[in-house]
Amino acid sequence: MRLDREDLYARLEPLLGLVEHPSRYLDHEWGAQEELDGPFHVCLIYPDVYEVGQTNLGLAILYRELNEAQDISCERAYLPWVDMGDLMRIHGVPLLALESSAPVASFDMIGISIAHELACTNIVETLDLAGITLYAESRDEDEPIVVGGGASAWNCEPVAPFFDAVLLGDGERALVRMAQTISDARQDGASRADILLRLACLEGVYVPSLYDVVTDATSTRWGYAVPRMGTGAPAVVKKHCVQDFAATEPVSQRIVPYMGVVQDRFAVEILRGCARGCRFCQAGMTYRPVRERPAEQVVDAALEGLAASGFDECSLTSLSTTDHSQCAQIVRTLNESLSAQGVRVSIPSQRLDSFGVEMAASVGASRKAGLTFAPEAGSQRLRDVINKNVTEEDLLRAAENAFNIGYRRMKLYFMMGLPTETDEDIIGIPKTAERVMEVGRRVLGPRAKVSVSISVSVFIPKSHTPFQWAPQLPLDEVHRRQQLMLHSATTDRNLRISYHGSWPSLIEAVLSKMGRKGAELILAAWKRGCRFDAWSDQFDFGAWNEAAADVGVDLEDIACEQFDLDARLPWDHTSPGVSKGYLQREWRRAMNAEVTPDCTRTSCTGCGVCPSLGVANALVGERV
Amino acid sequence: MSCLPPNACRLRVRYVKDGRLAYLGHLEVMETVMRSVRRSGVPFEVSNGFARRMRVQFSQALPVGASSECEYYDLLLSDPLDVGDAMDRLRNATPRALAPSAARILPRRVPALEAWAGLSSWEVNVRAPGVNAKSFDDGLGRCLAAGVLHYMRGDKPKSVSLGETLVDYDVRDVPGGIDLAMRTRTGERGSLRPAILVKAVCDCAPLRVRRVGQWHEREDGALVDPMDV
Repeated sequence: MRLDREDLYARLEPLLGLVEHPSRYLDHEWGAQEELDGPFHVCLIYPDVYEVGQTNLGLAILYRELNEAQDISCERAYLPWVDMGDLMRIHGVPLLALESSAPVASFDMIGISIAHELACTNIVETLDLAGITLYAESRDEDEPIVVGGGASAWNCEPVAPFFDAVLLGDGERALVRMAQTISDARQDGASRADILLRLACLEGVYVPSLYDVVTDATSTRWGYAVPRMGTGAPAVVKKHCVQDFAATEPVSQRIVPYMGVVQDRFAVEILRGCARGCRFCQAGMTYRPVRERPAEQVVDAALEGLAASGFDECSLTSLSTTDHSQCAQIVRTLNESLSAQGVRVSIPSQRLDSFGVEMAASVGASRKAGLTFAPEAGSQRLRDVINKNVTEEDLLRAAENAFNIGYRRMKLYFMMGLPTETDEDIIGIPKTAERVMEVGRRVLGPRAKVSVSISVSVFIPKSHTPFQWAPQLPLDEVHRRQQLMLHSATTDRNLRISYHGSWPSLIEAVLSKMGRKGAELILAAWKRGCRFDAWSDQFDFGAWNEAAADVGVDLEDIACEQFDLDARLPWDHTSPGVSKGYLQREWRRAMNAEVTPDCTRTSCTGCGVCPSLGVANALVGERV
Repeated sequence: MSCLPPNACRLRVRYVKDGRLAYLGHLEVMETVMRSVRRSGVPFEVSNGFARRMRVQFSQALPVGASSECEYYDLLLSDPLDVGDAMDRLRNATPRALAPSAARILPRRVPALEAWAGLSSWEVNVRAPGVNAKSFDDGLGRCLAAGVLHYMRGDKPKSVSLGETLVDYDVRDVPGGIDLAMRTRTGERGSLRPAILVKAVCDCAPLRVRRVGQWHEREDGALVDPMDV
């Protein structure tokens, strides 16, 4: 049932003194939308707490685009932390949007970010707290249209039953079109079913209820989705892609939060897409093609955004910022303009092979706290298998450049459980870090305090990647390899090793591989109290196991299953443009440790994105 | 027009903390003010060293949930500036509920605000069944006799000396409860939060807590307003 649009802040306020961090629930931040006239009202929701979701750049882009569109007002909501969520239930306060303090269930359209697999129970929690019917097929005619999208929408089947529609690909423009379509349909008096049919005609829009799941000999046990006869829904929904990325507004982040949030800085998206071709990386496959903003646009946007927001740090964000053909120029220009004001320029992580002397000096001009690199694997053979396309020489040279200009700390990211991994690869992880340490001591002196931290996650096979068919390591084997790695390292206390929990990674793999039946598992887990699964103090593996038993599945059995290379997969009806043939070819090349080059530096490697979507890489200079 | 004297480059600003922003914590207020200053274009000094930060000092922390009409910060200016101009710029760049209400130029070297302005006055509204001026007087008398107030802050046990931190108070009955005016002084072991006192005396949370004054207490007992230095 659609709730009335009314300001319920007075019912929330008495609870503020009883919870942690009441500033999560206040609104009134600098830059927040004040005109809320609509008449079409959209609420964008990040299904985690405010400080995690507020700086999500995707939602910032959509918030601005929707509010600039005629007759649309867009607001935000985040999932209250458990203390506030429980109090709201006790006091009968539904989930509210921040700007108007109106119930989320009073809006015309809800957009929920499908951020990552461990946020799936939070999606259910969000809908329940809002008072919106959980399953899309059971929603009343007048309930909000619930739309999903985001980085993890590429196997959205486990959450598909909770959504009326899912937007695949770039959201700017496409989400506005969806809102206008719903608005027009409502004005026409269209039924809910008719609205969904209209949405299914839009590029990049997947309407799960228009597809049946079929399981047969050609598929995995999770089946595949086929459009229902007569609906007109496409057999394969291709993503929406913004080709003229440089023509989009570069300053998206208008809201300045009161509380400390993750990535508490002004961000400019300097490029979108990555063609490096790392075979485990879903973003690298799904955000293609590569599109750069010109240096002047980035610099102007950074200066304008910093002046308007008051942040004291600017982050140049993208999947691989140092790949931008004008990156060094951008960083140098910004440093020259900003260092006197105490404003730092940061880059989220650096590619080893593009971190030269100049880049080291530019990034380190304002701050030398530490640098992060991602070799991903402990041997050259395995780095070739995953197509990381960096060598140990790249790593040691980058480290030397960094130590030479004064860095003392380095963090290295690795993965465990990659296809074809052996014990030698595991032992190679701490050995690689030790060699970096040796470089540091050679450059800075034997008594210099050099520290190297390595963080090792568990490989999770993701849809639409060359490793989508791969199994995850069984838990016992993960634990054995973790111990092997720890015992292979020296006792040097300046070498710190940490690794991700195996149990959350297992759940992530389960939800990455399952089809629509995953919704039953998610719902069962939520009913057993699971929420905020990405928070280690909230994650309850026992409850997930009980939920699996409730629905008759075995978690490890699902995560560790290898799919047949020719099988029809649960996500085959959605496409980021990368062809399945390319992924199969890349899988075979991986098994032979053959690398594939980056098409922004060589010729086309045949991923299929450009011809499939009618797009092309758009670089502003030559990449070297 | 009050331009910056040659030897002075400190801008003292009084501001409010009001409405729903009463629920901001002290660190959140500090960060918000610093971002407001950056937005305003008021020229500020930046510290040298590893982390180059704006040179700004704040008065004593206000508890989360408490509002105020008299918070202060001192900003070291990098260039001379007219006070009126500074006020206009800051007002235009600050959330309304933290709006600056007054400013003046001070000599560069004055005592740090936080330690210097150690006396606060408060208005506290308590609305709870059975709470009245008599019961409050009796309860506070018992607390004063004990001397030290013990309480929990999260999981941590804390204590504060009432004799040292409670300067004086005045309580009166109003429909549904009491209105309390009190003054507190920063003690060696911390400050007395009005909500802690109300909880100890009345076993309930105050409806509203508002700081209405901050002063420096001279050795002769005279009070100095931070804007009258």
